Amino acid sequence: MLSMKNISKVFKTDLVETHALRDFNLEVNEGEFVAVTGPSGSGKTTFLNIAGLLEGFTQGDYFLDGVNISNLSDNKSAAIRNEKIGFIFQGFNLISDLNLAENVEVPLRYRGFSAKERKVRVERALDQVGLAARMKHLPTQLSGGQQQRVAIARALAGEPRFLLADEPTGNLDSLMARQVMELLEDINKAGTTIIMVTHDAELARRAQRNIQIVDGQVCDFTMYQSGQTDNKTQSIADAVSVA
Amino acid sequence: MFFYYLDLAWRSIKKTPFLSLLMVLAISIGIGITITTLNVYKMASINPAGERSSQLFAVRLLSQDNDTWDEITPQITYQDAFNLRTSAVPVRQSAMFRTGLAVQTEDINFAPILESVRVIDSDFFGLFDVPFIYGGPWEKQVDDEGGYKVVINEDINQKAFGGGNSIGKTLLLNRKPYQVVGVTAQWNPSPKYYDVNNGAFNNSEQIFVPFSLTPIEEFDSWGNNNSWRREDIRTYQDRLNSEMHWLQYWVELDTPAKQQEYQQWLAAYVEQQKLIGRFKRPDAHGDISDVGQWLKEHNVVPEDNKVLVGLSVLFLVVCLVNMLGLLLAKFLKRAPEVGVRRAIGASRLQIFAQHLVEVGLIGFCGGVLGLLWAWGALYVLSTKFDLEQSLAQLDQSMWLIAPMIAVSAAIIAGLYPAWRICSTNPSVYLKSQ
Repeated sequence: MLSMKNISKVFKTDLVETHALRDFNLEVNEGEFVAVTGPSGSGKTTFLNIAGLLEGFTQGDYFLDGVNISNLSDNKSAAIRNEKIGFIFQGFNLISDLNLAENVEVPLRYRGFSAKERKVRVERALDQVGLAARMKHLPTQLSGGQQQRVAIARALAGEPRFLLADEPTGNLDSLMARQVMELLEDINKAGTTIIMVTHDAELARRAQRNIQIVDGQVCDFTMYQSGQTDNKTQSIADAVSVA
Repeated sequence: MFFYYLDLAWRSIKKTPFLSLLMVLAISIGIGITITTLNVYKMASINPAGERSSQLFAVRLLSQDNDTWDEITPQITYQDAFNLRTSAVPVRQSAMFRTGLAVQTEDINFAPILESVRVIDSDFFGLFDVPFIYGGPWEKQVDDEGGYKVVINEDINQKAFGGGNSIGKTLLLNRKPYQVVGVTAQWNPSPKYYDVNNGAFNNSEQIFVPFSLTPIEEFDSWGNNNSWRREDIRTYQDRLNSEMHWLQYWVELDTPAKQQEYQQWLAAYVEQQKLIGRFKRPDAHGDISDVGQWLKEHNVVPEDNKVLVGLSVLFLVVCLVNMLGLLLAKFLKRAPEVGVRRAIGASRLQIFAQHLVEVGLIGFCGGVLGLLWAWGALYVLSTKFDLEQSLAQLDQSMWLIAPMIAVSAAIIAGLYPAWRICSTNPSVYLKSQ
C-alpha cells in the first residue's frame, strides 16, 4: 500500500546541508499498524510529512496505492490527502472557532460532499469516538483526550485508507493515552492502515510492527527480531544496541 | 464553497473585530473620497440630452470685425437670431435668453417674488423634451405676432395658485397679465446645456414667456452684454440692433441631410450679411455644435475635475497599501490553521479563494461605509461650500459602482497576502500548534 524506495530528503541553507532522510526504504501493507520510533531529530516527522504528501522529497520513489507520488500537482496531492489519508497530530490541531461537528466536517467540505452526506458522516464519526452528544461544543470546552478523539473523528470522517498519527498521545495523561490507543486499535481492526510516530516504547510495542528511524534510515525491529533482516538494518540495530 | 468561505470570512471578521474595523475604515475612507470626486465628475459629465444629443445643435456665428475678438462667440446677437428664425430647415428651433421678472397673481395677498424667466419660442419645449402636467406650449402664431402667454412649472404653480390645473389663469409678470397655457413637471437638465453662460449647473428657470414679446416688453438680458465695439445705445431698440444683446440659439436637425442643408443655409446667410456690409471679416462663418461637442467646447467639465478624480484614486491606493499590511499580519497569524486545512485536504487554490472571499467581504463593507462617507461629504460640500445641488446628488449608479470598486480594490490588495498564506508549507505549523 505504501512503498518508499531510496527516499532522501535534504534541507539546504546557504551554509549547511542537512540529510533528514537518506536511502529510506519502507513497505507498509494494507491493514498494518506500524509504530515508528526514534530519537529526536532522527527524521520521524519528516518521514510522516513525506508520507502524508505535506512535503516533497529530494530523491527516490514513493508509491501510495500504486500511484507514483513524485511530481504530483498541488491539487492532486490535496485530493489524495483528502480521500486516502487521515492525520492525527500531537497537538490535536482542531480549529478553535469551529464546533466539533464543524471541525469534523472540514475535510468533507473540501471533498465536495453534499450537506446531507456530510451530516451523516459527521454524526457517524463523532459517534464512533463517543462524542456525538457534544457535537455543538467548541474544542476549548473539551479535555485533551476528548479533543484528540475529535481529531480522530475528523480523520475518520472521510473514510481514509490509512491514518498518519504523529505522537497522538504525546499531550495526554496515561489514562487518556490508553483510551486513544484503544480507539486506534479498534480503527485498525476495522481495516484502516495506521502509521504512528511515538516516543512511548510501550505504545509502540502494542503495534503489529515496530520500526525505528535512526539518522534518517529505517531499522525494522519486528523483522529483525524475526530474523528477516538485511545488512543495513542489522548494522543500524547493532549501532542502536551499542548506543 | 463560496457560502462556506463567506461563513468563514464572517467568523474571521468577528474574531478580530478591531483589525477588521481598521481595514474596513481604511478602504471606506479611500472609497468615500473616490466616490465623492467620481460622483461630481460623473454628474458634471452627463449629457442630459441623451439620445437626442446628436440631433440638437447650438448655432454660432463668427461675425465680429477683424482685430476684435479672435474666437467664434458662443452666442449670437438678437438681430441674427431674429433673422435665423426665418429658416424653414430645422425641425424645431428657438432663440432664447434669460431675464428676470416680478411675479404676482390677482390675489392681493400674494407677495411679489422676483423670478428668473426664460424668454423662448414655443419650439423650446419640444426641442428639449420639457414634460407638461397640464396644457402645453403656446400656439405658433404667438411666436410671430406676440401674445401674453406663459408656461410655468409646478413649483410656481403651487406658489401662485396652490397647484392643480391652472390653465387659463392669469399670472402677472412685471404687472402685465399673462395667461397660463401650460404647467410643466420638474425639469432640470444638468448641466443646463441650453445655456451654459449663466452657470452650467444652475437650476432651470421656472417661468417661460414668448420671445416675440422681447421688443414690446423690453426684457433685460440676464446674461452677457459685452460688445466687441463701442456703440451708442440710447433706446431698447438700439440695444436689440446692437452687437451686444447676446442670446442662445438652438435648432433640431434630425438627419445628416438636414444638418448639411442647414449649414448651407447658414453659409448663405453669412454671405448675405457680408454683402450688406454687416459681417466685415473675410473668414466670417456660421457653425453648429451638437450637445456633446457643445459641452466639450465650453469646458463644462473642467480638467481640474479629472485631476481631482486621479488624486482621489491615488489616495485610495494609499489606503489599500495600508490594508495590505494589515491583511498580511492577519493572514500570516492564521498560518497554523491553514496548515491544518492543507493537511486535511484543502488545495492551495481553495485556501487562496477562501482568503480572497474574506478580503472581498471586507471590501464590500468598506464600500458600503465609503458610500455613506461620500453621501455625507456631498451633503457638507453642498451645504457648507456651495457645491451646486445638481452635482451634490449621489448618482444612483454609485450604489453599484462603490461596492464594485471597493471589492475589486480590496481583492487586488489581498492578492499578495492570500498568495503568501496559501504558499506556506503546512508541515511547518502542524507541530507548532
